[in-house]
Amino acid sequence: MTFLRAEKLNKSFGGVAAVQNVSLQVPQGAIFALIGPNGAGKSTLLNLLSGIYQPDSGSLLFNQANLIGLRAHERVRLGIARTFQKIRLFKQLTLLENVLAGFHIHQDVPLWKCFLPSSSTRFRAEALELLSFVGLTSRANDRAGALSYGQQRMLEIARALATRPKLFMLDEPAAGLNAAEVDFLLKRLENINKRSITVLVVEHNMDLVMNVAQRVFVMDHGVPIFEGTPREVQANPRVIEAYLGGAIAA
Amino acid sequence: MSLLLVAAAPWLLTTGYWRGILVLCAMNVLLALSLNLVMGYTGQLNLGQSAFFGIGAYVSTILIKSHGWNFWLAALAAILASGFVGLALAAFATRLKGHYLAIASLGFAVITYQVLINWESVTQGVRGIYGILPPVPNTVALFYLVAGIAAAVYLLLDNLVRSPVGDTLRAIREDEISAASLGVNAAIWKAFAFGLGAAIAGLAGVFYPGFVGTLVPDAFGIIESFTMMAMVIVGGMGTMIGPVIGAVVLTFLPELLRGFGELRLMIYGLALTLVVLFMPGGIVQAWMSVRHKTRP
Repeated sequence: MTFLRAEKLNKSFGGVAAVQNVSLQVPQGAIFALIGPNGAGKSTLLNLLSGIYQPDSGSLLFNQANLIGLRAHERVRLGIARTFQKIRLFKQLTLLENVLAGFHIHQDVPLWKCFLPSSSTRFRAEALELLSFVGLTSRANDRAGALSYGQQRMLEIARALATRPKLFMLDEPAAGLNAAEVDFLLKRLENINKRSITVLVVEHNMDLVMNVAQRVFVMDHGVPIFEGTPREVQANPRVIEAYLGGAIAA
Repeated sequence: MSLLLVAAAPWLLTTGYWRGILVLCAMNVLLALSLNLVMGYTGQLNLGQSAFFGIGAYVSTILIKSHGWNFWLAALAAILASGFVGLALAAFATRLKGHYLAIASLGFAVITYQVLINWESVTQGVRGIYGILPPVPNTVALFYLVAGIAAAVYLLLDNLVRSPVGDTLRAIREDEISAASLGVNAAIWKAFAFGLGAAIAGLAGVFYPGFVGTLVPDAFGIIESFTMMAMVIVGGMGTMIGPVIGAVVLTFLPELLRGFGELRLMIYGLALTLVVLFMPGGIVQAWMSVRHKTRP
């Protein structure tokens, strides 16, 4: 049984083919990296997988469920969570409120009860645990907008984890982070993976990709050009060409 | 403390005129609460609230006057009618955002106003409906009734915004795509807030005709929508107490300015502009930052 399988996905924007005939299989339990130069179509592919966009054609299966036609919020219930390349937090809300909002699909309080006084602390402990996991416990009651860039990235990760995903997709989580923050992120990703969450990471940071990923999928100009282990990818002439340009590789 | 003040209010303001203003104030509190749920907590720029206020007023009055319904039954029907019309509008409008929703809801308010004027066989048009009795015998009792209902609505909404539903609504207000990435079906929750807001505005409308004694469409023009919005913004959008303060201030301010005669509306307008310029978060946020600064 395949965990996530995409077959011949296509997506164009006004005649520009952002993703062309992309097929990929993500095995369960892996840390899977999606790399490629700017404009390779990585983010578009992630948006197709998470349901922000629907593909023009192709098929998409997750745990044997057909994802085509399901919108982003419906896919979350199947166990697919994501973060964004351009951070999208609830900036006016506190860190704790941000993470609590992430438990939305697990809430089972009937609507009428929400009009009554309650001291429901359900998910609060778990939310604080997630904040501590990303090192932000002390900021729990600050507004998300007051965090540094790196902290905002970590909060977005904690919030997405609150949905209790089976597949966690991160769009360039290391962008804008300093070396120490990248190192912290790397450890968190490994830890997330140990909780039997499959991780799919779109990334530019080669350190991160080479150190944590078990499989690497390389795209350029909307098409897949190579897939293999980090070591194989580093040695592949087509990948080097895509990154450094044809003239140098030749 | 504030409850005591509300209870004492009709005995501090003893003239019939000022007691009338008190009733109006309680109604405005309800309207501001209803709009705040939609605009302040869910982030939907809704300019159609005057229409739901009008639907509540007309549905209840017509059921009582033309069909002989009991007041409370008619009130219930009017609340449901406003709520369902709100849901129906939301089914289309929640796909729209920001200015587009503002224009669509404004259009709805204009259409409703025109229907009230032109559907003469039912609404009596501009001639109006006369001799409407309030559900209670005098102004003080009406004030206590409406203020009591406003307090109950306040408490229910206060619980709601603290509940998981409140987290969800605020998440939608802050970033819809982000909320969707957490499994939130924004369209449904926006429609829920919109419909509930419409029902509460309809509830306020139920008490208006009996208070005035007559019912004409002019009470539900689009200017009313803007007044409600001003109450929410001046008080403090997205807080529970802010719109209550905004409603009280903007109900009494024009009355207190009556001494200025022709200049009254100019001063009122200037005051609104100054508040928005210097207290963009409304009175509540200004108060909190003052308290924050003066704390040792």
